[in-house]
Amino acid sequence: MYPSVIEEYLRPGSVSEALAAVARYDEGEAMFLAGGQSAMQAMKSRMLRPQCVVDLQDITELRGITRDGGALRIGAMTRYVDIAGDAALDGAFGALRDAASHVGDRQVRNRGTIGGSVCWNYVASCMPAVVLGLGGTLELAAADGSTRRLEADDFFLGPLETARREDEILLAVSWPAPPARRGSAYKKWGLVRDALPVVGVCVQVTLGGDGNCLQARVALSGLAGGCQRAQAGEDLLVGCSGDASAIDRALDAIAGSVETHSDMSADADYRRQLIRSIGSEVAATAFARARGD
Amino acid sequence: MKTITVTVNGTSYEESVPERMLLVDFLRDRLALTGTHVGCTYEGVCGACTVHLDGEAVKSCLMLAVQADGHAVTTVEGLAGEGGPGPLQRAFSNSHGLQCGFCTPGILMNMSDFLARHPDPSDEEIRSGLVGNLCRCTGYVHIVRAVRDAAREMREGASEVQA
Repeated sequence: MYPSVIEEYLRPGSVSEALAAVARYDEGEAMFLAGGQSAMQAMKSRMLRPQCVVDLQDITELRGITRDGGALRIGAMTRYVDIAGDAALDGAFGALRDAASHVGDRQVRNRGTIGGSVCWNYVASCMPAVVLGLGGTLELAAADGSTRRLEADDFFLGPLETARREDEILLAVSWPAPPARRGSAYKKWGLVRDALPVVGVCVQVTLGGDGNCLQARVALSGLAGGCQRAQAGEDLLVGCSGDASAIDRALDAIAGSVETHSDMSADADYRRQLIRSIGSEVAATAFARARGD
Repeated sequence: MKTITVTVNGTSYEESVPERMLLVDFLRDRLALTGTHVGCTYEGVCGACTVHLDGEAVKSCLMLAVQADGHAVTTVEGLAGEGGPGPLQRAFSNSHGLQCGFCTPGILMNMSDFLARHPDPSDEEIRSGLVGNLCRCTGYVHIVRAVRDAAREMREGASEVQA
């Protein structure tokens, strides 16, 4: 299977060139190409039929993990393999490495990018859930030179839908310096090793000096509604020390509150059980990382 | 159509290709390098098309040929060195690591990259490395053994060179 006819393939050297190229086409006719691990599937199955493909591979300003003090900025074209290989992404940002190390397979991780993943926002994907769970900021640029920043909560709208306009490029995902004693973790479960998640859980916790949780964010992957927060559980994690019973109570509340479905991979109740089991493990890891264990 | 220049197994090719041509089809149909195989449809899940792009394992069915313009590709035809089949290829032969052989080129290309980065892998790490390659014949047991044996031979060879 191969794509429908592509009239124009461009490989611009800058963001402004890339934006200008897409701006020359009407809506739905041109697309940006990042790692292609999802886009090529869509093009080969003809779900997408772009007339123009704008390949972002030469735009060096879109690649790389940069730090400014504790603030973190990951260029949209940064590959999973490079995120997975950055040992300094631990503690508050551990969930990023947890997710990036297990997306797809190693061939996919050599090409796929964080920007491609969050902009495609496939219903089951890991990176959107992690960016949502960690409360990242999405930096977007438009052809008129303007930029805007969206919080993750406002960026992910639903399966395959984000707030990015078709003529905007995602430049980077970024975070301010995290407070001390913040930890995060992510784990998924699928039918085989590293499969697309039937369910995945991301937990981020911030502890006070007394070791009790001040703030928590929980996001889920794998559900039919796409990546989503689980506020029912977040509230129950606040105030606890990360003890097993508090974590179990929080994950029970989350499992009870989310909408799950039955399909060939798992039935609705089993998805809830997976959320409980995986979520408990992930929450415990997040607490441990926050404590610096 | 677009004119691209791609180095494949050390030889530079300049070809005019349709923008929508997949890299795997460019290698197989245009360059007649049919060692790289197509084993699935649009998903890119089977890994039989795995090649090296600038030395890293990638699925050539998930790339357009035009994306490889200016880059270096290595296919299974380019895996053997001057001295003939290398440790990985010989290990697959010795350990019965293939039956029909259809998935084998993709596994050799993936594992050659994997071993370059993980010279002393556990069986679990090998299995994780193989997630992107589907084999319907073998059940993977002899594949894992072949990779393990190749890793050992390559480590011993390296330590001989150092000694």
